[in-house]
Amino acid sequence: MITFSKAFHAALSVSLVFVLVLAGCSSNKETNAGTTEGTNGSPNADTASFVLGEQPLEFSFYGHYDWYTMPPWGEDLSTKWIKDNKKVNVVPISSGGSAKQKLNTMIVSQELPDVIWMERDADVEKLRSEGLLVPFDDYLDKYPNLKRWAGEATLDMLRSPDGKLYQFPNWYTTQPNGNAGYLVNKKIYEELGSPSLETTDDLYAYLTQVKAKYPDVVPLEVGQSASGIDVLVSAFAENRPYTYNAMKAVPTGDQLGSIFTDAAFRESIQYASKLYREKLISQDSFTQKLEQVEQKVMTGKIAVFAASSPTEFGAKGNALLKADDPDAGYIMVWPVHKAGLDKNKIFPGDYKQLGWNVSVITKAAKDPEAVFAFLDWFTGPEGQRIIMWGPEGLYWEGTDAEEAPQFTEKFTSDIEGREALMAATVNFQWNGNTVYVDDSKMKFESTLPAEKRSWETYWQSEITWKTQYDTTEFVNLDPAGDTDEGIVAQSIFDIYEKARAKAIMNAASDEEVASILDKAEADAQKAGYEKLLKYKTTKWQENVSKLK
Amino acid sequence: MLQTNIRKSQHVFKQPGLTKRFMKQWDIQLMVIPALLFIFVFSYIPMYGVLMAFQDYSIFKGFMNSPWVGFKHFEMFFHAPEFWTVMRNTLVISLLKLGVGFPAPIILALMLNEINNRIFKRIVQTISYLPHFLSWVIVSGFVVSMLSTDNGSLNILLESLHLIKEPINFLSLPEYFWAILVTTGVWKEIGFASIVYLAAIAGINPHLYEAASIDGASKVRQIFSITIPSILPVIVVFSILAIGNLLNAGFEDILLLAGNPVLRDVSDVIDTYVYRVGIQNSRFSYATAAGLFKAVISVGLLAGANYLARRSGNSLW
Repeated sequence: MITFSKAFHAALSVSLVFVLVLAGCSSNKETNAGTTEGTNGSPNADTASFVLGEQPLEFSFYGHYDWYTMPPWGEDLSTKWIKDNKKVNVVPISSGGSAKQKLNTMIVSQELPDVIWMERDADVEKLRSEGLLVPFDDYLDKYPNLKRWAGEATLDMLRSPDGKLYQFPNWYTTQPNGNAGYLVNKKIYEELGSPSLETTDDLYAYLTQVKAKYPDVVPLEVGQSASGIDVLVSAFAENRPYTYNAMKAVPTGDQLGSIFTDAAFRESIQYASKLYREKLISQDSFTQKLEQVEQKVMTGKIAVFAASSPTEFGAKGNALLKADDPDAGYIMVWPVHKAGLDKNKIFPGDYKQLGWNVSVITKAAKDPEAVFAFLDWFTGPEGQRIIMWGPEGLYWEGTDAEEAPQFTEKFTSDIEGREALMAATVNFQWNGNTVYVDDSKMKFESTLPAEKRSWETYWQSEITWKTQYDTTEFVNLDPAGDTDEGIVAQSIFDIYEKARAKAIMNAASDEEVASILDKAEADAQKAGYEKLLKYKTTKWQENVSKLK
Repeated sequence: MLQTNIRKSQHVFKQPGLTKRFMKQWDIQLMVIPALLFIFVFSYIPMYGVLMAFQDYSIFKGFMNSPWVGFKHFEMFFHAPEFWTVMRNTLVISLLKLGVGFPAPIILALMLNEINNRIFKRIVQTISYLPHFLSWVIVSGFVVSMLSTDNGSLNILLESLHLIKEPINFLSLPEYFWAILVTTGVWKEIGFASIVYLAAIAGINPHLYEAASIDGASKVRQIFSITIPSILPVIVVFSILAIGNLLNAGFEDILLLAGNPVLRDVSDVIDTYVYRVGIQNSRFSYATAAGLFKAVISVGLLAGANYLARRSGNSLW
């Protein structure tokens, strides 16, 4: 017995060690394979065009966002059609909830994905300057969609310092779009006699009335981190979108100046502070989670909701409230303004010709041209129709002279099924073609009677698209995080966030707000704000000259 | 613990030489090798990474090609305007967590030990250790919705009891933050941490209690004269470990509960600062320098605590 157990122990120990060594080896092998793949493949411009569907194409796709998880490819109607008919398969790489770490890990281990879907920020330039990206210039004429729909000006803006194009834009546009503005609870508004909501004074009076009559309703909901207060800044000056708050820089002439001394910003914070003191803004504004905001909007527990995209919850809430009571629901109002300003020059939101974000193709891609060919097809009319409205024959059948789809009867009758399809494909909209999609939608909607139009599209065409400001010239002003300017930018961001929250929540008077902001300005100057503003001004002026 | 025992046995019995004893149990020793390798591979090899603190590390250039800059990042950290706030918060929050969070499970274990109804005891134990298995994301969700001003349950309760007139904005007032943080932490971990002490209590010889009650000792007397002295070695060892962790004031809990930037003056600790300023901005060298600074202080504290514990004969080494 004893000898047996001894032998058994020995065997066990030896095998344990063996397993460990094996495990070490196998993981080594994997990294090696990754490295060789990473260095392979450079663009081959001379070969003939790649035709989608003739040969199979497979590439890996990484969405560089904490919140983004790519749904499995080919499991909904649209991507299944693409997989079957165009022989394209996309392999997702997940950020696992911490995108920054994931990308850094992939760079260090030289296991870059074929395509990265990311913000148009300093990270793109970092990847490019290290020679990890594939330029698109040789492909632009072979595959015409991007050039045709985005236009030369947009592509020039996207070009990197070496004059080449590395970024494939998403939701690029040549016409205004966006949803920023004010959502109003219809039932409460009508019960209070539909008062005028044009000026900031009107709004204040209305909110006071709401508070008095509806104690369990939040008069003005400003969303998570009180971001709705940034939307409010647009009311205090003409041509003043909230973008300048996000930039922490305000243009005056051809210079960018401090946000803390900007009159419109200071006035908006004083206004918000007054609303907060009088409990007209949700007291949880700085701590609440997104779900809490959603719940309040869904259940109609808000009177006014200011946000950069109130339509998303608004559309859902409107449907929900209407189901219970046909008089309830949400409407939108023309953006409020300070008395004396021109209401047609008030812009609560902005849009950029470059759209939202970009896809870049890395040198890890074996056949970057084929990947580009797919992205280009995807952003063209056929690709957009498939991903937005499913394969032909369901919600649309045939196209008109301008390639816009002819929507079928089912498009309006089967709203649930269509929305389910939209929800399944929304995370595949990597290179949305705003002009094509919006025009197709609008063309169709305008043929419908008012009650059949989609709530969202209605308010977009009535108000929000008319009140978004073009801020294309202000893109890419941010320095990279590990540069001197980047370190300053981090300090300024901290100072701004703290001062803004303190001024809104703790100040007892307008004078106190002013003194908090004055102190923030002094701290910011000490941290090197001037240098940062100079950097941003230079970048901005470069953009301006590119756009001319 | 194991090491202490081995050490003691060396002192007590003067046994045959080390090699001889080692050879005698070579098969058992062989089984230790994977664990040693594990520690070596995952805890020692990555240590070369701390050298990054002395470089201007770039992920593209890699470790070998990044330039060396000496103590630049340490100096930047010490001179950062946030440094003293961050240090103060780290120390205060850790001390609060130690002062409240360390004795709490011991007290719970002592109380549970006095309960005779087995079923009730089981129920209490199960309920109290369940929160340990929830992630901080979920716990913070509970806390935030409970402490909200709009329809937060605590505010509704206090209002209906007429204790307050207006809802209190608990999560936005700096004076409440430390209390919320520490209480939530205790609530989450108290049950699980008490298991160790309950196990130690279970190991106490019941004859001691019998003898004590015959001698006329009250229940309270028994707790102080038998239970606590018997589990003292466990308490001491755990307190040494807790002190070694002193600068780990917490990370997820603070990140999730201190959403409001107004709280930053009381909530920013070394780890959240490193995350926000270092990692989020790809300033890896700076983050490493701050982390290394923290580690060095922690080792010092651990050694100090161990030195004190050695007097009671219960030290780690």
